[in-house]
Amino acid sequence: MQEPLLLAELKPGRPHQFDWKSSCETWSVAFSPDGSWFAWSQGHCIVKLIPWPLEEQFIPKGFEAKSRSSKNETKGRGSPKEKTLDCGQIVWGLAFSPWPSPPSRKLWARHHPQVPDVSCLVLATGLNDGQIKIWEVQTGLLLLNLSGHQDVVRDLSFTPSGSLILVSASRDKTLRIWDLNKHGKQIQVLSGHLQWVYCCSISPDCSMLCSAAGEKSVFLWSMRSYTLIRKLEGHQSSVVSCDFSPDSALLVTASYDTNVIMWDPYTGERLRSLHHTQVDPAMDDSDVHISSLRSVCFSPEGLYLATVADDRLLRIWALELKTPIAFAPMTNGLCCTFFPHGGVIATGTRDGHVQFWTAPRVLSSLKHLCRKALRSFLTTYQVLALPIPKKMKEFLTYRTF
Amino acid sequence: MDGEEKTYGGCEGPDAMYVKLISSDGHEFIVKREHALTSGMIKAMLSGPGQFAENETSEVNFREISSHVLSKVCMYFTYNVHYTNSSIEISKFPVTPEILLELLVAANFLDCKMK
Repeated sequence: MQEPLLLAELKPGRPHQFDWKSSCETWSVAFSPDGSWFAWSQGHCIVKLIPWPLEEQFIPKGFEAKSRSSKNETKGRGSPKEKTLDCGQIVWGLAFSPWPSPPSRKLWARHHPQVPDVSCLVLATGLNDGQIKIWEVQTGLLLLNLSGHQDVVRDLSFTPSGSLILVSASRDKTLRIWDLNKHGKQIQVLSGHLQWVYCCSISPDCSMLCSAAGEKSVFLWSMRSYTLIRKLEGHQSSVVSCDFSPDSALLVTASYDTNVIMWDPYTGERLRSLHHTQVDPAMDDSDVHISSLRSVCFSPEGLYLATVADDRLLRIWALELKTPIAFAPMTNGLCCTFFPHGGVIATGTRDGHVQFWTAPRVLSSLKHLCRKALRSFLTTYQVLALPIPKKMKEFLTYRTF
Repeated sequence: MDGEEKTYGGCEGPDAMYVKLISSDGHEFIVKREHALTSGMIKAMLSGPGQFAENETSEVNFREISSHVLSKVCMYFTYNVHYTNSSIEISKFPVTPEILLELLVAANFLDCKMK
């Protein structure tokens, strides 16, 4: 298995007016679902929106562009040049959504001079004081300001179906549900967490919401009734990142306790733990073993995971194996995400840089392709009820290791 | 046969370029041997020491795989060979919901490479 190779690194330019109060961390990175844009909160309250694939100038000589974006159906009248969003305060969470022609378009025009383009993209940014700003990607225009949270909005997640429901996770210990079809009306507050909520993620089939917090617990909520389904216990420290597999059949959570746990979200069963131990103990003088997790994400075809930890490593894991299959050195990593069509992993760091790495090239087996397609609409219980042999059920429920 | 001008390679003999896969409902799928070898099961059947009757004429009968599933399996063979040992960006392999379970059972039986 080839080690991830660094394809490109982007560094923020010196800000025009350096504000000592603002931090320079890249807390979040994100690709739009169609792979045509990349968003990077580059610190100093700025978010850069960059069209994907990157222009030639960013890619070091000798590398081909490893990824091509799919047809950009959302190309409106905006130019494909990069956009800079000045959010006015530290940006923590980022999330993209397609924005189809809104039903209340006429209402929009009456109240807001900036009517979103037909079929465009929007980006939600979670800010330091609890505000959420919604921007139109192609033009960089501010569309909405959502108020409600009392503290940092650490993470955001849009329904993957494009229904314009937004979930936000905050240090005020709540999650909130916002309906962007109704001018960003807050439709629900989810309480229950006892400490900062670090992350939220909506399952690809839009049925479940996962949230994780400082008190070591992971909550699963129903996206239909906005009620708590179950609590997942197991982590020994703050849980800071979570992600569903592309078929919604698996959930992974990452914690400061140096572990990533893989769960069956339908049954709450803990399937495995991925331990982040030191690669080469001889190299490290310190007695303290620092490999708190910062971020975990699934690859688009659902067979690999990428993790970022404080021990200065980006790790790639194959689903069935107990140890990583590849490593890449990265300092001060905070976040990671896969390019939606595979082939590239983006990471963000404490000094505001983003890096793009080669991801394993995956040719899924026919069995996995069937599993992924079946699990996109079958729950674990439905699989267990199928008239198929036990071994096949184990395969379909990801119990084969 | 008399009169036939063009040949594309046949299914006869152990080194035939093509193999014939026959579904339960009698459809015959003639695919490149190299493609069919994507299946560990077919590979074993075709290279076995003569214990399988199919070895002679490079044809395999699948009494439990119907044509609508076997055709998809053959498409997967092509897909797999096309992207293996190349660096072209891999495109999605479409699977239709109606045949999924049967396709999974067939894929399991045929032991089609990779995870």
